[in-house]
Amino acid sequence: MKINRRDFLKTTALTSMYFAGFGVPTFANSGPKKNLVVVMLRGGMDGLCAVPIKDDKNFEKLRSKINLDKTLRLTGDFDLHPVLKKFKSLWDQNQGAIVHATNIPYTGRSHFDGQNLMESGGKIPYQVKTGWLGRGMKTAGLNGKGLALALPMPLLIRGVPMNNNYFPVGDRLPSNDTLNLIDEVYKEHDEKLLGENLKIIMTRELRNTASDDSWVLASNAGQELSKINGPRVAVFEVDGFDTHAAQGATNGAHADCLNDYDKILKGLNQSMSKESFDNTLIVTLTEFGRTIKQNSSNGTEHGYGSAIFLAGGLVKKAQVHTDWPGLKKKELFEGRDLNSTIDSRAIYASAMSTVFDVDFKKITKEVFWGENLPNLSDKLFKT
Amino acid sequence: MRNFFRKVGYGIGPNEQVPTDPLKWALDQVNDVPDLSWKGKIYSEKELRNHYKDWVYGDRKVLRKKYKDNKTLYKTHKDILRHKTGQKFWESLEISIRHNEGINSSHPVLAKLWMFWGNFFAISEKDFLANYSTGPYHREIIRPNLNQTFEKMVYDVTTSWAMIHHLDNSESAGPKSITASEDWRRKKKRPATINENHARELLELHTVSPKAGYSQEDVIQLAYIMTGWQQRWSKKKLETGNVWFNSEYHQPGKKNVLGKEYKKGKKSLAVVIKDLVNHPNCRDFVAERLCKYLITDEPTQEMKQPIIDAFKQTDGFLPEIHKAVIKVAYKYNDKYRKFQTPENWFIQVAKTADLSWPPATHLMDSYELGVKPLRSQRLPERILRNIGHHPYRAKQPNGWPDDSADWLSPELLIRRLVYADRSYSFLKAGNDNKEFYEKIIYNNFDNPGKISDYVFKNMLRKSSEKNVLIFNHPEFLKA
Repeated sequence: MKINRRDFLKTTALTSMYFAGFGVPTFANSGPKKNLVVVMLRGGMDGLCAVPIKDDKNFEKLRSKINLDKTLRLTGDFDLHPVLKKFKSLWDQNQGAIVHATNIPYTGRSHFDGQNLMESGGKIPYQVKTGWLGRGMKTAGLNGKGLALALPMPLLIRGVPMNNNYFPVGDRLPSNDTLNLIDEVYKEHDEKLLGENLKIIMTRELRNTASDDSWVLASNAGQELSKINGPRVAVFEVDGFDTHAAQGATNGAHADCLNDYDKILKGLNQSMSKESFDNTLIVTLTEFGRTIKQNSSNGTEHGYGSAIFLAGGLVKKAQVHTDWPGLKKKELFEGRDLNSTIDSRAIYASAMSTVFDVDFKKITKEVFWGENLPNLSDKLFKT
Repeated sequence: MRNFFRKVGYGIGPNEQVPTDPLKWALDQVNDVPDLSWKGKIYSEKELRNHYKDWVYGDRKVLRKKYKDNKTLYKTHKDILRHKTGQKFWESLEISIRHNEGINSSHPVLAKLWMFWGNFFAISEKDFLANYSTGPYHREIIRPNLNQTFEKMVYDVTTSWAMIHHLDNSESAGPKSITASEDWRRKKKRPATINENHARELLELHTVSPKAGYSQEDVIQLAYIMTGWQQRWSKKKLETGNVWFNSEYHQPGKKNVLGKEYKKGKKSLAVVIKDLVNHPNCRDFVAERLCKYLITDEPTQEMKQPIIDAFKQTDGFLPEIHKAVIKVAYKYNDKYRKFQTPENWFIQVAKTADLSWPPATHLMDSYELGVKPLRSQRLPERILRNIGHHPYRAKQPNGWPDDSADWLSPELLIRRLVYADRSYSFLKAGNDNKEFYEKIIYNNFDNPGKISDYVFKNMLRKSSEKNVLIFNHPEFLKA
């Protein structure tokens, strides 16, 4: 695939000295517990707002109203949105990386179809009723090891039994005696799913009386992920990336959403033990990027290629991985969108292979129906 | 059979007679659209939009400038303005009106369909729409159309202030329109471009669905037809002016959507909507969504066909479409049990147990503009947020899902347990006795003896746990 062809042509901004003393440990199956966190960025994350390219006159012109006036430096070619402070500090410790000009192979520009496909990993919207992450967990035998920080159970993680979710109601549950009576009736009516959910509720340690603030969610997830018998997978959601109007630059609507993502990183980083964070990978997922050109409401339209944030101790090194397609009109997808030169399913398959210690081929076979995806594990992650 | 009253409605209250002919009972409710049964004050969409205007104008044009150097004062005055415009109150009043239709009206079946269409043409959480506009949009745009045609409903929705704002159509300007060549655009570097959002959703969510196989070019062409439909902008009203057709924003020339040509101008929107609603994929999509809402996650062709036929034969006359789906629901009543979404379930709990819900009209009427609403006056909004199913705050324009899997998770089950428990505190005085509970059970379960034993023969820690058992029984969770 293209990612191999040019072999990650954009290299890290960090000096090689930093790497000098960096002993890369190898994890066997019996090694430390490894975690995968997926943060879904709903609405179409603008990769060019989050990780803008430098010194591209055409880009600056097309986005005169929504260009960032200040940025954080990543590499000689790419900057970072200034609200992503935690991500930058992880990057500085070689625990953050970017894959740019990437997306799922979906070009239909519909949120609903796109979000369905980004979660299911399929090609036809609404056809597949499980998520790629759920199927990956099933392949790895990770029953009961998923935690979604959301009120409904996201499609992404469906497909493996006994997933938990946490979004505290702020109240106590009825007595266990009563819950047991309900459990019996579920059994009598053969209500397996209801029964499974009830069992999780009755056995878990999470506090139902807490608030549902995003900081509380990230902290609790971090603590759970740090437990040796705790979940191996966590899923977060950030809404609101669909900025057709008033997308803004440094302080706009897109910035607020990126800040929500950064807060999740911070919450996880602070609540996890060092060993756990070192063995965790946090990846983002979005349905599509946005148009290069701003519209008349200082927003952007639905596009195609976007960027993926990789964070956590399992990131190989601070680097922007890309086979940059360029932003000239003829280089854009349908003359309007950043192209996608890396199939993001390869990144997710590689992430699952790395974190779940499952052979890459097995993942592509069981999760992506044998799709011919390149194995990027060695390039992106510590394997 | 008792589940049918909840499948197409909200169940039977303890003081009601169980109808002897359930099908007739349901069919009789969808011919006319009676006045809302809420006896308290109801405010017009215009009046509430005026509060929206006072809020955005006051914040954007006055407070931001006046307190630009003092964050604390800015915040304080913003809070004062919130209360002056009722920002924290209206949605709770609207939910009360809505729930009252399900619980206390003579037309609960129509109410359940009203809620369906509100979600079909969803206004999702954006700006301050939920605070001021989505409730009145459901009352004044969706509801009066329940005995009209689907085509008229689509047109009224598409040209409504709430939907135009929700899907950014005011921002859409034809690249070859009159406004495109205006000087200020060049000076301000704001070239006229279309905003595809509304056009895309009109195809995808409101009419033909992606199954129709339209292309990106179809979306663009429809967006061209829709250019000019916008909020009448003024310095005083900002974006809250009425919807009008601004010909200066309209893209000139012919357009082509799904192979058919449309002329330039205001009238083409109605023409293209007529064609879209008569597209076979539109009928299929509407039938599919109705079956999913009332009957099953996996509707069959056999189920959909009578609804599709009714649509076709009556040119999309909604009462006939509704009757068709009710008949299908009746036919498949025993074979398919639909897991009830949280809001439906919540209304069913309130109706079947005759709870003090929604809040009393005198409590809601005692609200005064400018004063912070009481906790009890804001309860509807808080509860629906907490159960994860606030009708005006869906996350995206496709509204809330109907699939069972979307409503099953440990946390969502916790909501049912906790709110069933809390429902006990909403019982009306004198109702906490066995006789009353027997009536709830008798009216709503097919095997009342068994359910009654389940509730009364087990030792419970708290009286409220009777409610937990009844309303979490699988036969109640599904209908």
